[in-house]
Amino acid sequence: MSAFGRILLVEDDPKDVELTLTALDDYKLANEVVVARDGEEALDYLYCRGKFQTRSSDNPAVLLLDLKLPKVDGLEVLQQIKSDEKLKMIPVVVLTSSHEEKDMVTSYKLGVNAYVVKPVDFHEFVNAVKELGVFWAVINEPPPGSIKKN
Amino acid sequence: MNQPSIETRQVMVQRKGGLLKPFSVIQRYGLAVFSVSVALGLALLVDRYHVRDVEAPLFLFAIALTAWYAGAGPAALAFALSSAGFNYYFTEPYYTLYVTAFDLPYYIVFLLFAALIAWFSTVRRRVEQDLRQSRDDLEKEVTQRRVLNEELARRSDELQAINKELEAFAYSVSHDLRAPIRHISGFTELLQKNVATVVNDRGQRHMSMILESAKRMGNLIDDLLAFSRIGRAETHKTMVSLQQLVQEAQSELAQETEGRNINWKVGKLPACYGDRSMLRLVLVNLISNAVKFTRTRPQAEIEIGSTNHKPDQIVMFIKDNGVGFDMKYVNKLFGVFQRLHAPEAFEGTGIGLATVQRIVHRHGGRTWAEGALDKGATFYFSLSKSGERDL
Repeated sequence: MSAFGRILLVEDDPKDVELTLTALDDYKLANEVVVARDGEEALDYLYCRGKFQTRSSDNPAVLLLDLKLPKVDGLEVLQQIKSDEKLKMIPVVVLTSSHEEKDMVTSYKLGVNAYVVKPVDFHEFVNAVKELGVFWAVINEPPPGSIKKN
Repeated sequence: MNQPSIETRQVMVQRKGGLLKPFSVIQRYGLAVFSVSVALGLALLVDRYHVRDVEAPLFLFAIALTAWYAGAGPAALAFALSSAGFNYYFTEPYYTLYVTAFDLPYYIVFLLFAALIAWFSTVRRRVEQDLRQSRDDLEKEVTQRRVLNEELARRSDELQAINKELEAFAYSVSHDLRAPIRHISGFTELLQKNVATVVNDRGQRHMSMILESAKRMGNLIDDLLAFSRIGRAETHKTMVSLQQLVQEAQSELAQETEGRNINWKVGKLPACYGDRSMLRLVLVNLISNAVKFTRTRPQAEIEIGSTNHKPDQIVMFIKDNGVGFDMKYVNKLFGVFQRLHAPEAFEGTGIGLATVQRIVHRHGGRTWAEGALDKGATFYFSLSKSGERDL
């Protein structure tokens, strides 16, 4: 996995990570993904600290964010990103199992760019992840300061 | 209710009130004797100094005091003692119990006064005791109310805690139970794709069964969550046109009715007061049931109408000529996850009618159904027009 990915996937469940990567692999996007296993790691990546000290300081083109995470949860990560001048332009997509309206409303209030409920059905899940990946990492023109397409 | 006698009530009041010390019978009658004796002593003392005509007020005062503090019986004793003492010492001839004709009116006036004062004091005392009793009763009631209020507040807190727990539970179900199902179906699917050539038909069939089960589990969880959400969600009530809702429900079901031969009979429907999205769900569920269970009919007949028997109530019905049901099981129809048909004949989790019932109940209405095997079914629900009853 390249440390210079354009998609930052924040997901604690290794099975979900594998399924997401499998889905993205269909469009050869898997190599562009950096996985953070909890909120703290995600913030470490974004702030280039800890084990990400040596990475180039460009922002990812998109951040796929699970809400239920160990240590720092998804909503806290989102709040942190959207209140930081340097990070607030990164498109953040919440990718969660939660159907709860409360989470959705909170996410939008914090300025999330999209909110996707992970479909239980595998095909739908794969399609959702593929479309997300293609749209945000390929079709969408990322804000200035993002990692450029290879 | 048994009213306690005045006497017991007096004693009760004295015990409870704390203002009056508890008097025993001896103390009360003793007070009569004592006060009359003191009055007599004082009267004799002032008589010795030739101060006249103070004896009557003194005796009267003694009677009043006794009546006030010791009640009716001692007052009568004080009255008897006073009249005797007055007669013996202060009416001529002195030191006898005889009364001369000359002193008789004076004596009778004294007796009348004494009786009147004793009576007044007793009545006043009774009134005051009744008031005290009422005050005590009120105090008791206030205490009871306070206890009840505290209990109510405690229950309300408990309920809130339970509700929070339930929400947390639903949240956890929504988030945590979904993930493993997604993984089961996801990895089975990958397996199916990768080993398609090496696994025999039996194995393939097992894999598709795993997938089906995972999908079904997912649907059950979704339905259960939606059902629980209906119980928790706040209702936003407005005037709702049922006619329009039926049209919306029909177009929502367009996918299922496509290619079907359905004869719709939609009557004129009134407006009612209720939560629009919830009532819409009621109609969607009932109509989709009608569509589903008429699937085996070459010509499906679905009738939607309303009857108005009571001025404040709307009764809607959805009637079909589908497979119907046995009235024997009518009480199971609206239960959660209750199904009266084999899953391979008609799909569904069995939450639809339970949801209908829950919504209608929240609108203060009622649901019921009629049907016969193979002869169609009719589902009814009532709604109050004003929607004043909100449960």
